[in-house]
Amino acid sequence: MVSTAPGAVRRSNRRLAARREGRPLWMLAPGGVLMVVVIVVPLIIALIISLLDLDQYTLRSWLQAPFIGLKNYVEAVGGSQLMPSVGISVSFAVIVAVVSLPIGAAAALATQNAFRGRAIVRSCFLIPYVLPAFVVGTVWRTIFLRGGVVDQAFGLFGAHPGLWLNGPQSYWSLILVQLWTSWPFAYLLVLAGLQAVENEVHEASALDGAGWWHKLWYVIFPYLRGPAALAVVITFLHNFNAFTLPYVLFGVPAPDAVDVLPLLTYVTSFQSFRFGLSAAIAVCSLIIVAIPLFAYLRAVRLDVGEKREVRA
Amino acid sequence: MKRRQALGALVGIAVLGIALQGCSGNSASNGGGGLDGKGKTLDVMIESQPIYPTQQKQWFSDVSAAFEKQTGAKVTFETYPSPQDELTKIQTSVVSGQGPDIYTLGTTFTPTAYSTGAFTTMDDATWKEVGGKDRFIPATLGISGPDDQHQVGIPFSSRPYVMAYNKDILTQAGISQPPTSWDELTQDAAKVTGNGVYGIAVDYADGYDPWKYIWGMSRTAGNPIVDVTTKKAKIDSPEVMKAYQTYFGWLTQQKVVDPASVGWKGANALAAFADGKAAFLPMTSSTSAATLDKSAVAGKYAYALLPTIPPGQTATTGDPAASILSGDNIVVAKYSKNQDLAFALVKYLTSADSQLSYQKLFGDLPTNVDAAKQFQTNNPAFAPVIDAAGKSYGTPFTGAWSDVQLDLTNVVVQSLPQLARGSLSDDQIESKLKAAQSAAQTSLDKAKG
Repeated sequence: MVSTAPGAVRRSNRRLAARREGRPLWMLAPGGVLMVVVIVVPLIIALIISLLDLDQYTLRSWLQAPFIGLKNYVEAVGGSQLMPSVGISVSFAVIVAVVSLPIGAAAALATQNAFRGRAIVRSCFLIPYVLPAFVVGTVWRTIFLRGGVVDQAFGLFGAHPGLWLNGPQSYWSLILVQLWTSWPFAYLLVLAGLQAVENEVHEASALDGAGWWHKLWYVIFPYLRGPAALAVVITFLHNFNAFTLPYVLFGVPAPDAVDVLPLLTYVTSFQSFRFGLSAAIAVCSLIIVAIPLFAYLRAVRLDVGEKREVRA
Repeated sequence: MKRRQALGALVGIAVLGIALQGCSGNSASNGGGGLDGKGKTLDVMIESQPIYPTQQKQWFSDVSAAFEKQTGAKVTFETYPSPQDELTKIQTSVVSGQGPDIYTLGTTFTPTAYSTGAFTTMDDATWKEVGGKDRFIPATLGISGPDDQHQVGIPFSSRPYVMAYNKDILTQAGISQPPTSWDELTQDAAKVTGNGVYGIAVDYADGYDPWKYIWGMSRTAGNPIVDVTTKKAKIDSPEVMKAYQTYFGWLTQQKVVDPASVGWKGANALAAFADGKAAFLPMTSSTSAATLDKSAVAGKYAYALLPTIPPGQTATTGDPAASILSGDNIVVAKYSKNQDLAFALVKYLTSADSQLSYQKLFGDLPTNVDAAKQFQTNNPAFAPVIDAAGKSYGTPFTGAWSDVQLDLTNVVVQSLPQLARGSLSDDQIESKLKAAQSAAQTSLDKAKG
């Protein structure tokens, strides 16, 4: 492609154009249909339901449920727990995502150099991540119970901090447990990022006489920017949508401090049977989820693949 | 670009196709079925019995064999682990118009199921098909429908709430009779508290039990929590306030319950009583006998009616409700194509013989009059439980009840931090009652029909 002959340029342009014209897009059809069935159709149904007065009384013939426009959304914003729940969900998911990154990065850096038993340590790091949320919730529930391990530990110092699974403190319990299950994911991604740093880079910085801190800050971290951003975004989304852990830890009705969006959606649907309202809440939470996702996609330019190809 | 449009059109057609298919699936028609059930299969959805898994399997095959002999039709059983799971199943069945022919439902869930309109309303003919309405203990029909003419629930089993008490602890404290009023219970509990033993085992953190205390105390004081005819919630009332004060007071005022019970669920309270650490276990059912008979209190405990004299009173001022009407109802799905067969199976399941064998296997009481009589003569120790079954009252028959129930429990959930600190002021209770009242009223206003 470095040839400067005008004919060659023309030829290559033509070839590129032909290739784009002749792309057998129809071969994407099976995947496209599948995507429509699995993602688009349920999404459209959820949108439709959110505009209906659908509850236990109208469920049997749900297509005939009264159309009430945006009333569900109005009620969700004005008359339900939606706004407090959004605050709780967003703040807790952000805290967990931001805090889990340095923990994961530290763990990855600590196991970067080979030492005896590294494989075991690395495997142990993954235990919180691979345990089913239900198990994690049950174990931590026992730990946090009144008179449980945590209370006894505080008792040694004469402190009695109160309930962990109820009241305002439950918010921090939730953060702690979610953090416990979430940091190994950041660890995995940072570890992957570290593997991408080639040996030459280490050698070169050593030759230039960089200390460990300078090396870490100026040489290694730039390599980790991508994986770290991905870790934060995915951890945020994962925690924002987490249902099992809060459900097992606190049950329903949940204490006000941990009435996260997935619990609210669940209670609205399956205890109050307000399917329309709950669909509206779900759509609202989808919008909230879409914001960081969109920002991330812009940042890594995954959404502008077409444009880059044109420029090339 | 053209290709992309073509692709879009293709996708559009596919969506349309799926949507149309969805429509045709909904319009399945119901047909009647003869009683010759050869080659037919009835599908029954029933709650799983986690304590008796092998017995339940055996019961399934026994029922299927007996029914096949009778009608030629087979019976298959599906189990659900919790009411929530069953609800999901009912929802999908209701929407798609196909699924199990018969469901068993918890009694308090019957109003919600009724409000979906998905189950067959019983008339004279169908009652006859299941062996006549008079084969059932009248009280057990109390939550089958909003009135006598619109009943969907056929009583299948009865699990009335009673109070278990430790005979030894009471004798030592010089108490000869179990209490009949809530105030007496509190006083007796205070007498026996000490030396690691507490008066009452209460599960404050349970997801269901708390509202049952409140309902019982209020109902006997003349407040059913919801006035069904005017659709008004009555949570913000002196009776309910008094009920919560009593319920919380055991911990904050009289200190007759274990402070750890702010974190207890039903199983924890049962365990404390089974260890001999509590004199009274209110809100339990005869199914707890399975656990208690293998525990430290085996042979040392007995059942009694829950108090029916409301707190602060010397006589019952409302209904003498000893228990919530509790147990299971059977409902037959409207969409079922085997209605007659389904009713024949219900007739078999509610006959005296099969009710007695069901009791032996799982501990639930019969709803069949003859079976209940026989059971009572053979098991004098269960007399209070059978007594409670006859003195049971249904929760208000409204589709909004599950919400109201949630609001009542939520008052307790949000009070737990203050309870744990040992101080809960009347103002704090009152503000929570106000919130529960308005939430419950909103649900009632939304209830249709």
